[in-house]
Amino acid sequence: MEDYDYLFKIVLIGNAGVGKTCLVRRFTQGLFPPGQGATIGVDFMIKTVEIKGVKVKLQIWDTAGQERFRSITQSYYRSANALILTYDITCEDSFRCLPEWLREIEQYANNQVVTILVGNKIDLADKREVHRQRAEEFAEAQSMLYLETSAKESDNVEKLFLDLACELIREAKQNTLDNNDSTPMPGEGKNINYLSCCSMN
Amino acid sequence: MDEIGSPARRRGGPAGLSAVQFDTIEGLTELDDLERVYAQLCAEEAEVEVELGALMGQQSNIETKMLALHRMGPNLQLIEGDAVQLSGMINFTCSLAENVSSKVRQLDLTKKRLYQAIQRADDILDLKFCTDGVQTALRNQDYEQAAAHIHRYLSLDQSVIELSKQGGEGSAVEASLELLQEAERNLKVLVTTRLEEAVSTADLPQVERFFKILPLLGLHEQGLARFAQYLCSQLASKAEENLLLAVGSDLGERRAPVIFADTLTLLLEGIARIVETHQPIVETYYGPGRLHTLLAHLQKECDKQAQKIVDKFIQQRDYNNKFQVVQSSMMRGMTTEKIEPRDLDPVLCEVTLMNSRAELYFRFLRRRIVADFEVADAMADETVIQEHQQSLELLLKDCQLSRAMQELIGYYIPMEEYYMRESVNKAVVMDTAEVGQLSSSMVDDVFYIVKKCISRALTSSSSDCVCAMINHATSVLETDFREVLVSKLRAGYPVSALQDLQRGVSSAVSMMQSSLQQGKITNLTQTLGIESQEQAKSAYLVTLNNVEVCSENIRTLKKNLESDCAKLFSQGAGSDHAKAKIDSCLSDLVTTSSKFKDLLQEGLQELNNTSIRPQVKPWISSFLSVSHNIEEEEFSEYEANDPWVQQLIVQLEQLMAEFKVGLSPVIYDTLTSLMTSLIAMEMEKTVFKCTFSRLGGLQFDKELRALVAYLSSVTSWTIRDKFARLTQMATILNLERVSEILDYWGPNSGPLTWRLTPAEVRQVLALRVDFRSEDIKRLRL
Repeated sequence: MEDYDYLFKIVLIGNAGVGKTCLVRRFTQGLFPPGQGATIGVDFMIKTVEIKGVKVKLQIWDTAGQERFRSITQSYYRSANALILTYDITCEDSFRCLPEWLREIEQYANNQVVTILVGNKIDLADKREVHRQRAEEFAEAQSMLYLETSAKESDNVEKLFLDLACELIREAKQNTLDNNDSTPMPGEGKNINYLSCCSMN
Repeated sequence: MDEIGSPARRRGGPAGLSAVQFDTIEGLTELDDLERVYAQLCAEEAEVEVELGALMGQQSNIETKMLALHRMGPNLQLIEGDAVQLSGMINFTCSLAENVSSKVRQLDLTKKRLYQAIQRADDILDLKFCTDGVQTALRNQDYEQAAAHIHRYLSLDQSVIELSKQGGEGSAVEASLELLQEAERNLKVLVTTRLEEAVSTADLPQVERFFKILPLLGLHEQGLARFAQYLCSQLASKAEENLLLAVGSDLGERRAPVIFADTLTLLLEGIARIVETHQPIVETYYGPGRLHTLLAHLQKECDKQAQKIVDKFIQQRDYNNKFQVVQSSMMRGMTTEKIEPRDLDPVLCEVTLMNSRAELYFRFLRRRIVADFEVADAMADETVIQEHQQSLELLLKDCQLSRAMQELIGYYIPMEEYYMRESVNKAVVMDTAEVGQLSSSMVDDVFYIVKKCISRALTSSSSDCVCAMINHATSVLETDFREVLVSKLRAGYPVSALQDLQRGVSSAVSMMQSSLQQGKITNLTQTLGIESQEQAKSAYLVTLNNVEVCSENIRTLKKNLESDCAKLFSQGAGSDHAKAKIDSCLSDLVTTSSKFKDLLQEGLQELNNTSIRPQVKPWISSFLSVSHNIEEEEFSEYEANDPWVQQLIVQLEQLMAEFKVGLSPVIYDTLTSLMTSLIAMEMEKTVFKCTFSRLGGLQFDKELRALVAYLSSVTSWTIRDKFARLTQMATILNLERVSEILDYWGPNSGPLTWRLTPAEVRQVLALRVDFRSEDIKRLRL
């Protein structure tokens, strides 16, 4: 048996060049690769963290932002426990594309998915094009969590993933309770429950 | 006192330094004191005498030694003289050595300078020789020779040439230098233009001739660029020819459905062939590490030609349009324009084939370029190696060919998904259950389709493409197809009809008891005219079987895909990283299997609740109508004419018969196990409502044994455990006296573990009419 209590799938999405790969690299390997090339298809990394004594294995899928990989990345939405929707605070365009991404999530992800909006590159404060308040309002309107990060300076990166892990644990526990409360009808399908991918050893 | 006393003690007291001073003696007046001093002095005297004796004894010894020393005196003088002489000699040798070595050093320096002078003279001679040689060679149009001279000149130490200019021969050297430089310029221009001419006339021998000359003139980059230009033009004309052939090819031809993949293959193979044939020349004349530059030039042409092929493919196969139609029908389920999944088959095959060719080509390039760099970078810096690595990645990932393939695959995936979904839907619609088959056609069809789609994705050699299709397959199975099975199970097992039937059968039971066979029941149902219920029943059972087969099929599918992927990776496609991705997607797929298992459990529970329980319950409770408060006479009567258990067994046999036929052995077994638990539970409840005589207890024991024996014979599960409580109840009901229980209880229980609580034991004992309640109360359990 593998040594963890929960396994969660986290998928990063967002326009090309907003820093998805850098966020993942910073979190999983603690480095900021300068001159990172565009991701091809989908990349995947694993990191196990411990939160209040609970071992959580995070399977992080880093997707390519470029349009031509869209059909590959979309296939990962359905089984994702959490989505990190990333944009670049110094790039108005990447912010304006968010509604389009939300439509994708609506269409492909399961309805229990936890979505968090991340504004990356806050180290480039003087080039900021999207105001924090504006992003916060947008996130709130879509009932998403919001966080601003810098993969370069390592600001909030750890927090991003750990907060997400906490939230997922909370939901998984909630789900277990709900399932115990009322035994679901045979074939109450559709709901992808967390327990299916969490081994409670 | 100390001043005098201490040496006296050290020397052992010579006379003048005695412990007793004269003054002291003279000052003495008393006889006692005098006598004491006298005694002390006497003792001192004796001591001194002994000492003197000892010293006298040593005298001869000392004298002998003195004599020996005297004899050694002259020898010492001799040694001194020798030492002085030695020192002089050493000094002399030393200065001599210094002298000699300084001369050698001088000689060395001279030699070195001489060599340098010779070198310089040689260089100057060479320079002159080169100057003359270049002139002659140029006149004779012997460009190789001329280039060799220039190469020699270029490889001369520039500083030496500078120095030479300052020397006495300055003017002469300078003149030849100027000549040489001019010759170099001329030659460069000449060779380059000649190469260009040769390239434009596609004159291979001339191209190769000048291509070999350019590196001698230090024009590596230009040489490679021109050569690549030549190769590209060759490539282009061949590719255009092939594409023209492809477009004009007959649709009836065998390779027609994959003609664009074939054309692309020809292009890529052409480049591979170029590498094979020309790499040796490049390596010989340009040195290792140059292949990347050449291929970077070639890739531009490859990209151009590949794009043309892809464009033609998209146009002729109506690829993008097909994608649009698929996209819109998946998004909104519009029925206006729908593509038959079967019609997508050829184009999907062709796309995966194209991508696999491109992947193969990229693997080839990577292997060759890496090997070439390895030779060149054997001694190089880490940074250089990294730089080369990066430029290689850039070449492979950023080229138009790879982008074009990514775009094709990007469209392929939704189309393959559509193909899978539509075909699965079709298989569900066309589902048929053959008589005598446990499961129906759709399970096998669905898995055939899923396997086909993922296998096709695998042939693309793109791990991302495979992963995406595995994800979609998981989704189709877990959501769409499971939903189909769920809704079929929701229809339920037709209960009422079965109960009606059962009533009919019950009334006819005595008649049929002796000869109950499957055939007769079926006949009966048909005469009762309830075929539709019969169909619904078998549909339910078939669905249960289907669910189980699905669960199994998913495992098999995963295993097969795993080995297929392993095969692909053993050919060197993809990295460990890609393998990890696929493994992760496959493990998601296999978790779906357990969801089908859960569904099966739910379905069986449902079947047990709705169709087994309602019937078994009354059969069991009919136990109540058979009195167990009996005497000898009734007991014998029961013996001859079984009142209950035989009929129950027949009824159970009858009830389960159709499940036995309709369900797979594994499911049937699980169902029997559920039924067994149900019976055990119901029996227990019923027994507690009964009263027993001693013989009644015995009767019950017999009945229970018969039932357990029967149930054991129909299931492979161990049922003893389920009946443990009942068996123990029978034991209690069979006791002679209340107190006999103590022979089995507590320390006397031996290997028996009681499943009944003490309270329950009392409760069971109370069922015996002949046991007094006081005795039971008095029991200490």
